[in-house]
Amino acid sequence: MRPSRAAYPIRWRVMDILEQVAGKLWPRSFSAGLPYLMLLPALLLVGVLVWGLVEIGDSSLRTLDTSTFLMSENYTLANYQRALSERFFTTVAGRSLMGSLIVTVVTLIFAFPYSYLMVRTQSSALRKFLLVALFLPFFIGQVVRAYGWLIILGNQGMVNEALGLVGVTPIRLLYNYPAVLFGLVQYMLPFAVLMLAPAMTAIPAELESAASSLGANWISSFRHIVLPLSKPGLVGAGLVVFTLSLTDFAIPAILGGGSQDFIANAIYDQFFRTSDQGMGATLSLLLVAVGSILVGLVFMVFGAGTLAMGGDRK
Amino acid sequence: MSAAPAGVPQQETAAAAAVSVKRVSKVFGDVHAVREASFDLPKGRFLTILGPSGSGKTTLLRMIAGFDAPTEGDIYIGGQPVKAVPPHKRAIGMVFQKLALFPHMTAAENVAFPLKMRRHDARTIPEKVERYLELVRLGGYGKRRIDELSGGQQQRVAIARALVFEPDLLLLDEPLAALDRKLREEMQLEFRRIQKELGVTTINVTHDQREALVVSDEIVVMDGGEIQQMAQPVHTYRTPANAFVANFIGVTNFLEGSVVETSNEAIALSVGGMRVKGVAGGTAKVPAQGELAAGALRAEQIRIAPTVQGFSGLANVVSGEVRDAIFEGERIVYEVVVPELGGAVLRVFDHDAESHQQFGPGDSVALGWNAKDMYIFKK
Amino acid sequence: MSNQKFLSAQIKRRTLLKSMAAAGAAAGASTLGLNRAFAQEPEKPAEIIVRAWGGSWVDALKAGVSDSFTKATGIAVRHDLTEDNEIQPKVWAAVAQKRVPPIHINWDTTTNATKSALRGVTEDLSDLPNLKNTTDLSKPVGLDGYPIVNTYGYVYVLAFRPEAFPNGAPKSWNDLLDPKLKGRIALYNDGIGFHFPAQVAGGGKLEDIPANMQPAWDFITKIKAQQPLLGEDPDFTTWFQRGEIDAACTISTNAREAKKNGINIDWVVPEEGAKFDTDGLWIPKGLPENELYWAKQYINHALTKEAQQVWLDGLGLPGVVPGLTPPADLVGDPSYPTTEEDFKHLIRISTKVQVENESQWFAKFKEIMQG
Ligand SMILES: Nc1ncnc2c1ncn2[C@@H]1O[C@H](COP(=O)(O)OP(=O)(O)OP(=O)(O)O)[C@@H](O)[C@H]1O
Ligand SMILES: [Mg+2]
Repeated sequence: MRPSRAAYPIRWRVMDILEQVAGKLWPRSFSAGLPYLMLLPALLLVGVLVWGLVEIGDSSLRTLDTSTFLMSENYTLANYQRALSERFFTTVAGRSLMGSLIVTVVTLIFAFPYSYLMVRTQSSALRKFLLVALFLPFFIGQVVRAYGWLIILGNQGMVNEALGLVGVTPIRLLYNYPAVLFGLVQYMLPFAVLMLAPAMTAIPAELESAASSLGANWISSFRHIVLPLSKPGLVGAGLVVFTLSLTDFAIPAILGGGSQDFIANAIYDQFFRTSDQGMGATLSLLLVAVGSILVGLVFMVFGAGTLAMGGDRK
Repeated sequence: MSAAPAGVPQQETAAAAAVSVKRVSKVFGDVHAVREASFDLPKGRFLTILGPSGSGKTTLLRMIAGFDAPTEGDIYIGGQPVKAVPPHKRAIGMVFQKLALFPHMTAAENVAFPLKMRRHDARTIPEKVERYLELVRLGGYGKRRIDELSGGQQQRVAIARALVFEPDLLLLDEPLAALDRKLREEMQLEFRRIQKELGVTTINVTHDQREALVVSDEIVVMDGGEIQQMAQPVHTYRTPANAFVANFIGVTNFLEGSVVETSNEAIALSVGGMRVKGVAGGTAKVPAQGELAAGALRAEQIRIAPTVQGFSGLANVVSGEVRDAIFEGERIVYEVVVPELGGAVLRVFDHDAESHQQFGPGDSVALGWNAKDMYIFKK
Repeated sequence: MSNQKFLSAQIKRRTLLKSMAAAGAAAGASTLGLNRAFAQEPEKPAEIIVRAWGGSWVDALKAGVSDSFTKATGIAVRHDLTEDNEIQPKVWAAVAQKRVPPIHINWDTTTNATKSALRGVTEDLSDLPNLKNTTDLSKPVGLDGYPIVNTYGYVYVLAFRPEAFPNGAPKSWNDLLDPKLKGRIALYNDGIGFHFPAQVAGGGKLEDIPANMQPAWDFITKIKAQQPLLGEDPDFTTWFQRGEIDAACTISTNAREAKKNGINIDWVVPEEGAKFDTDGLWIPKGLPENELYWAKQYINHALTKEAQQVWLDGLGLPGVVPGLTPPADLVGDPSYPTTEEDFKHLIRISTKVQVENESQWFAKFKEIMQG
């Protein structure tokens, strides 16, 4: 009766049925809502985050009663007052901020030529080598790497042994501020390179040729062309490195020998050593606040466009 | 190959020449990008390097600019060897194929860049920048960002930038390739005007033969990394040095056959059994009797008429049948099958279509041309 | 209704335990104090979870207590090696939210355990039959009943590498100020074990704790100039083994562990004294009835002489049951106090004082060390 039906493959019919069912469940008139529906998981995640922050905010307003080890019932700003006035906290905060700043600058200085070479090199063998050397540490966790440094830089480690060969008595390379910064830089380098490389790829090599034909030596060409055009990458990489360093726990804990605490270590101590959740919550919130303010400032100064967000490259 | 341009005195001009390229070769791995290229370009002249894609034009230009070092041979600029001179110390303005304008600077900043790099007096820079922007007809556009300019305007900024520091030499690497035809033709004339106004020695690279003919004082034709001919546009067109040049420039018919007679310049070929007369072309050896050769004949050199009447003065007259008539606006191109020439198809231009009789496919026509218009090259 | 049921169950368990105690006493120091004649014993869980410190600590516990407990009852013992200070908030949160806690038994420092007891998250252990046979040391000071049972004591000794002290063993904590030892000494990262001897070494009196601890802080400030490494139990063993340090204030067990691994190490109780403290076992509230019962049996078992002997041989520490034989290498050792005379050189501060002030001491210590 309907011969055309016979030529209609079974798969198509199944698809038709599925489409009909889908149409019933999700009428076309709803389709305008689809993008919002897809936002839902993200909103949910953000919601959970906000809820957590509210909880932490609540804890931060309560103090610890050491006769019952319970949090106080009434709200007080005592924790904040302590955090901002006690020397221990200001020392640790200062150390973390200063350390993160140094780590960021040093990491960017190292990462810049690295990614430049990786992007510009003619030799694909060198490029592959640089990429592998970059990714290898990614597969080795942060803690394992830090322990690796303990072995390499320890008093009886490889470095001191090598120094011993030339008659230098073992020197303490670990358990101090420079060791922590060194560990952080080494840990952050891949992140920075990965954020810088795309920004550099986006700079045509011809621009550098042009600059040199116009009279720029490589330093000028670097300063006036490569550097300003890498700004989005530098800002992005800088933000990532700074925030990751500022909140790092393992490297200061392992390479710092206990006397080089960063904020995260202080927070850990409050939660897990002195059982003072209120103080821990306060420090956490302050850390979030400092981080957010800094990110906000960077956006204000450089514009959100620096992270390749939004159309115009301001 | 006839790499050395005919009629250009050697040695003595080397010192006077603005650019002198001497037996320069460039090898990338197993690719011979440029082979023993040599030419001298006098000061103030506009040279175009013309050639098909991959013929080594950009490579040659990059070596002159100093971005690549020649594998062999030497380049002299203003009489000085430049082997050891890095690009930023050569006084060369270059306009790149993709312009290479600095996107984070305004038009004026782009133009000011070479002046700053060359440590010009900061007080004179703004005035100079404005002057050059005006030269390229962009007066008042200085404050615009590069992405706020049209393609043609960007082109002009690139030119102003390359010229503002008054370089000894201007290099243009197909900067017009990306433009639409109308704008391209406008810019070609613009180049010509500016170059004449400033008198700067210029080397332009293109694979657009029309551009080469329009703007150049001299044309270098390249193929396979080798220079095929260096001559003034008229000569390049009228007296191609070899079959490649003849074929590459203009619409050219080739008639192949064996040489049946040679006397001085005059040569007769047997094409499909018919005797066709021409003259020896290029500087290569005149083909000997019995050798295979090809006669190159421009489409516009062939006369077309319904009958052979009025063709009495022409050395070669044949009859054929129109296979196709292609209307190109200012002219009509006929494709004519000629049985006498072994069924060869000749392309023929007919200008000013109104006053001439027009033909359609299937029409019988007579074709005729002078012996001096057909260049015979050894195969 | 369910409340009533719960209550009756509790009563039943009490009476049961009492009768068991009688039986246990009758059997002398028998293995478990648990007679199979009592058929009503609650259902056995497949396993009980004991939080423990890793390394030689858990090995000793397993050999001395857990293995024999499993053998006697058939209940497997799982050791959870979560750090003591990390399990604490988890247990607290579980009790606050009326969830079943993540562990059955916590092996804890008495100070930390006391915090949990003050917070009211511990089960009372007064009814353990074997408590009768223990010394005073097992009873936590300043708390009602037995929210914790102390199982052994330990000393924060001055451990050192004899090579670094060619003129003989150090006699005083002040010897740590020798410029030669700069960067070569180690303390706990919160200063635990060091606050009290520092008070004496700094010229202060123990009676002034906690009111005036300035002498301690002055002494610690001097120590800070020596750039000490700061770590936790396993760090000391590692540091000694890797040659990173020459001297440390640490629990003798850690030094003994390094010595067992072939490192030349010795330890002393300096003239100012050394801190003596205890560790204990406790059970968090919120366990199902039967599991609570068997958790108590585990602790009861840990108080038997047999279990203590093997467990504490491993740790090299004095237990809470009289008549234990000290390990051969620790006879007469100051870190293994047995006599009145031994205890005279050790500093004991009430748990209550410690618990109430510890976080301030930690903070102050950190402030000095992180400065
Ligand atoms: N860096 C390089 N490495 C290897 N081969 C190259 C390199 N640059 C150019 N070549 C090769 O050299 C030859 C000439 O290249 P060139 O770029 O000079 O051609 P061109 O005449 O400019 O062509 P087009 O008109 O397409 O720009 C080509 O075969 C090209 O593949
Ligand atoms: Mg090219």
